[in-house]
Amino acid sequence: MAEFEWPWQYSFPPFFTLQPNADVRRTQLDSWCALVVSWGKSNSVSQIDVTEASSLPVFKNNAISRALPVDGIKVVLDELAKRGNLEWTDKTRRRGYLLWRSPSEWGQQIYSWAQSTSRINNVCTLYEINQGDESADQEFHGLDGDILLKALKTLEVTGKAELMDFGDNQGIKFL
Amino acid sequence: MRRRAGVGAIQRQKIQQDKFKEKGSEIQENQLEQMTLQMEKFRENLEEFATKHKNEIKKNPQFRKQFQEMCASIGVDPLASGKGFWCEMLGVGDFYYELGVQMLELCVATSYRNGGVILLEEVLRRLNQRRRPDNQISSDDVVRAVKKLRVLGSGMEVVATGSSQFIYSIPGELSMDHTTLLQQAETVGHMTVCSAASSLGWTQERVGRTLDHLLRVGIAWRDDQDRPASFWFPAFFQQCTTAE
Repeated sequence: MAEFEWPWQYSFPPFFTLQPNADVRRTQLDSWCALVVSWGKSNSVSQIDVTEASSLPVFKNNAISRALPVDGIKVVLDELAKRGNLEWTDKTRRRGYLLWRSPSEWGQQIYSWAQSTSRINNVCTLYEINQGDESADQEFHGLDGDILLKALKTLEVTGKAELMDFGDNQGIKFL
Repeated sequence: MRRRAGVGAIQRQKIQQDKFKEKGSEIQENQLEQMTLQMEKFRENLEEFATKHKNEIKKNPQFRKQFQEMCASIGVDPLASGKGFWCEMLGVGDFYYELGVQMLELCVATSYRNGGVILLEEVLRRLNQRRRPDNQISSDDVVRAVKKLRVLGSGMEVVATGSSQFIYSIPGELSMDHTTLLQQAETVGHMTVCSAASSLGWTQERVGRTLDHLLRVGIAWRDDQDRPASFWFPAFFQQCTTAE
């Protein structure tokens, strides 16, 4: 995987201070959201825990000795949630799934792959989808299990698949 | 008999005088006609020159600049009107109009990050990047395009700093204090209220007031993790000006 390219804002010390003016702050938050999503995608980060977030490299740049303070991180995460890029796991809002793609986008990608690999009307395990050899070249390879399930559920809702339980394993039949 | 001669003399004198006057104005008229013909000839020559060197003018910034100066020296402004020889045959008017539009687009596209202040150098670099190598523009072209746009009420202005120039394109004019502070910012990159006050010989209150406005429009950003708080300017931050 190529080295993540940090945007210019990441080297700009004031970027780590929430700007007082509302218009400027909106621009700043746009940049923060874009940064967190692309960084997450590049590093396959699927979950963010608020209490541990301050140590994530995306929120601190040691080269310029700047770090986004915790309340700043909370503002960014709230903004990401508003934009549909973060889904809180529960009401405490301590942890959230980072969705650089929406579950239905993932679902569509997986379904296309199923079509091109002749899996329609066949059953396959969830393991095959996000860990198997045949999906190694796919963007969803290595996708977090919980997010994968969300994605497959969107296919179920549109009648394109049926989730199945085999006790230990979970499987899916593409229709 | 003598009286008749007297009247005659006067009459003769008058006729002579009239003849001289006629000659005089004839001479003047001649001169004027001569001059007009010469100017016509000169203008024709200039037009012929411009047509012959049309491509050169379009492609060579140095040549273009000298041509403009030559025109200015005889009171011709190729960019003045949208009609006529200069604009239609030469397309010089179009050239600056198009350039002006490109600059406006660039300023609008980058203002979210620099607050509406952009170094002329950055404008040049970005616009030339998009242009063919044989169709490059110079800083002189940029300055002229801004001047033309101002006539149309664009609100763009070129401001000189110590070492270079920047263009600002935000609504509302920048005051002398704003531009002075910006000139200082361009030199030092970032500042604190104290450092600016001492460099400029202003009161801290004056610096604060000036910074407030620049913060409000996004030209300045504050860094609270610096002790004391410092102020930075995306327009003069190297990574910002060279970013995609």
